Amino acid sequence: MATFKVLEQNNPRVDAWEKVTGRATYAGDVYLPGMLMCKTLGSSRSHARIVSIDTSRAQALPGVRAVITGVDFPEIRFGSGALKDRYIMARDKVYYIGEPVAAVAAEDEITAEEALALIDVQYEDLEPVVDPLTALRAGSPSVHPDLESYEGYGFTIEGGNICTLLDADRGDVEQAFQDADHVFEDTFRSQGINQGFLEPMACVANVEANGRLTVWASTQGPYQVRAQLASVLDMPLSNIKVIPMELGGGFGAKLRLAFEAFPSLLSMKTGSPVKLINNREEVFTQNGPRHPVTNYLKTGVNKDGTIVSREAYTIFDVGAYLGAGPNSGIGHGLGAYDIPNFRLRSYAAYTNKVYVGSYRASGVADMTFAVESHMDMIAHNLGMDPLDFRLKNAIKEGDTAVNGSRVPRNGLFECLAAVKERLGLPRELPEGHGVGIALCEWRSGTGPSTASISVNEDGTVSLLTGSVDISGSDTSLASIAAESLGIAMDQVIVARRDTDLAPFTGPSGGSRIVYSQGKAVELAAEDARNKLLALAADRLGVPQDALACADGSVYVQDNPPQSLTLGQLAAMSVTSRSGPIVGNASLSTLPYAPVFSAQAAEVQVDRDTGQVKLTRYVQCQDVGVAINPMAVEGQLEGGAVQGIGRALTEDMQFDPETGAVRNPSFASYLMPLALDLPELETLLVRVPSEDGPFGARAVAEPPGFGPPAAIANAIYDAVGVRIRELPLSGERVLAALRGEGNDVAYIGDELQELKRAEGLAV
Amino acid sequence: MNKQPLAITVNGHERQIFVAPYYSLLDTLRDELRLTGTKKGCDEGDCGACTVILDGKPVTSCLVLAMSAQGSDVTTVEGLATPDALHPVQQAFIERGGLQCGYCTPGLIMAAVGLLQDNPRPSAEEVKFAIGGNLCRCTGYTKVVEAILLAADRMASQC
Repeated sequence: MATFKVLEQNNPRVDAWEKVTGRATYAGDVYLPGMLMCKTLGSSRSHARIVSIDTSRAQALPGVRAVITGVDFPEIRFGSGALKDRYIMARDKVYYIGEPVAAVAAEDEITAEEALALIDVQYEDLEPVVDPLTALRAGSPSVHPDLESYEGYGFTIEGGNICTLLDADRGDVEQAFQDADHVFEDTFRSQGINQGFLEPMACVANVEANGRLTVWASTQGPYQVRAQLASVLDMPLSNIKVIPMELGGGFGAKLRLAFEAFPSLLSMKTGSPVKLINNREEVFTQNGPRHPVTNYLKTGVNKDGTIVSREAYTIFDVGAYLGAGPNSGIGHGLGAYDIPNFRLRSYAAYTNKVYVGSYRASGVADMTFAVESHMDMIAHNLGMDPLDFRLKNAIKEGDTAVNGSRVPRNGLFECLAAVKERLGLPRELPEGHGVGIALCEWRSGTGPSTASISVNEDGTVSLLTGSVDISGSDTSLASIAAESLGIAMDQVIVARRDTDLAPFTGPSGGSRIVYSQGKAVELAAEDARNKLLALAADRLGVPQDALACADGSVYVQDNPPQSLTLGQLAAMSVTSRSGPIVGNASLSTLPYAPVFSAQAAEVQVDRDTGQVKLTRYVQCQDVGVAINPMAVEGQLEGGAVQGIGRALTEDMQFDPETGAVRNPSFASYLMPLALDLPELETLLVRVPSEDGPFGARAVAEPPGFGPPAAIANAIYDAVGVRIRELPLSGERVLAALRGEGNDVAYIGDELQELKRAEGLAV
Repeated sequence: MNKQPLAITVNGHERQIFVAPYYSLLDTLRDELRLTGTKKGCDEGDCGACTVILDGKPVTSCLVLAMSAQGSDVTTVEGLATPDALHPVQQAFIERGGLQCGYCTPGLIMAAVGLLQDNPRPSAEEVKFAIGGNLCRCTGYTKVVEAILLAADRMASQC
């Protein structure tokens, strides 16, 4: 491992002091003089025409300053991608229970709430469709009958409620299935999931004296919020300044415009600042969660255990609007394996439920549960050890990844070996105990990234990026700048940013900040360093290549005392011909850098109750280089615990008739608490990436992928029952132990319909 | 509704304020006293982000009516550090990486401070029990527990 002065050290977070003293300022902590409070009225119907909305009684309530409904906004549909399928507030129809139909600004929150009760909405009910399999069938009620007329609609399969398809193909799948010694088919279901961030959505909007709109937001994507806000308010983007405040968790849920438009329009109408903070029920019912997903897998295998073909179909429920977009989980339908022939399809169906949002590599945890359960089932069927079966088929350097990229050097095999060694696999456990593994794959995220570094006259540097800090990314970026410039961490000042101040950058999500934004910081630091070296060469009268930059100085390598400090150089630069020292970098994409993680669970299953006790959890991930090992471990531990919640207890339940969220609270949506967890064992492998900053890879997403399959596989190992549906509740395990239930919905008919529509043989 | 007078000691300062009778202690701290370090995660007593020390005991301040705290003594996360030094629990959270997004952090820190007042030498299981009402979605709790145990060690060795 290379030697580093800053990286690979457990430096404290740059924002730690503010956060432990309560000084960190989140959007809800913004109080402005004369500020009004906003509340929204949600639809009480799942699918209905709005006949009329009477707001007169609400308007007349003392303390109410303004009431808006959908028609107060420009008649403009927007969307997260190309397809524009949604109004920011319901106009003529409502598509799910909870959909905002009106908003009030009042002098205090309780008055705003009282006013909501005085708004009279008359609906004419339409038939809702709640189940995505029903939504796909011919003759199902249509959620968006005019879908084909929407801007950006580009799909070709008619009928049903299908709004998008993602597909990928390679080789001759049919022939490979015919030639294979064995063919296995399985269907898996995963449940609805809430991102569970602790800070509810919050926003303050204020029209400034110059007519510009300032928005203090809780967001991962300030530039994305600015663009979508400009679109729904039909105003120039440059008239909006988004200030991303400290982010109290988002995990993908805060990547896009949420409710910022309501306080914005109310501020424009009243001339006062307006604040909106969701309560927890609104977070559950109005902010896009993840809906249940059905994944069907078919795999052709030869006698020696070599996988030759894979077919994967995902039926993905997007709710009322495309929201987070098509389900990228299908791109992971091969898992971490080299499979020559494949056909991958993901169909997104509209239903009358809250629109779908993003969550920590949306769809991949669902797909990993399916793929890694399926792998175990095949291994047992072939009489092979599950770990050996994975090793035999694992993708290797030089293979072609599902996206067509060459697989670069990586630490997949090292991760599996580390977990095997830690657990002493293969391993016999006492009756009722079991061990299961899962192999997870992801890629380091890319996308537009920018950074600017100015060197100050006291030798410190100011780092400016447009990226919102998530899970310590500011600390990582400061570490990269410090390492590059040969200065201490505390010499880097991370600037507070907003969309006026910082250059455009992609959102903070998809494991892209350290890999891509970090690369931009590394390149900006190099740019600044080159300028420092050029100026020092000029002032010291030596060639530039005779100089080095370390410990806060630029010095002559053969004669270190001949040196200038960064502070001296910065002071000189102010009056130099080349001007003050600023390093800049801008990049769009970086090459494919996969990330692999091997995970293992040990469980104890109570045969009388079906209760599953997780007794041990081990994970090992290839992180390339640990920018900050303590922060990396923190990410991996937190991610694994989210996955453990997904595996065992978390379950967003939707009413099958109306699509309403049945458990919109932390008391009924059960996220893990400290007492629910075993000690987490976190191992790091370091195989540097070719292009990441100092060889770093992405970290955040894979830890959450493994627990559902690892635990399901451990349950099978313990008591011999296979659970194909999440969560792996005691109820489900007990039913399986009694030989009851445990049936995942049969989707053969739907698959045949989808294949026929695509012109494939059925 | 008319606001009513409330006398309350917050972080060592006696405060005379007027609050609406339906106001929670949490909303009073935030909206009336602008002590925004105490966070609202659910307003239903499920998440623990609003934990403060009320008359020596950790409580979820969203479930306490402000008027019921008449004459009480409250410590919030803003009241832990002195101008010269952080509280040992705060210091340990920084050193052990016991925080990420920071939104649950004030509540966790106050729950830990409450625990260590009563039980200066807790076991890991006792720490987990004491923070059993605090949800954290980022850290997975491992480093939070480590931080609280570190703080306990340091505080006990100072006594």
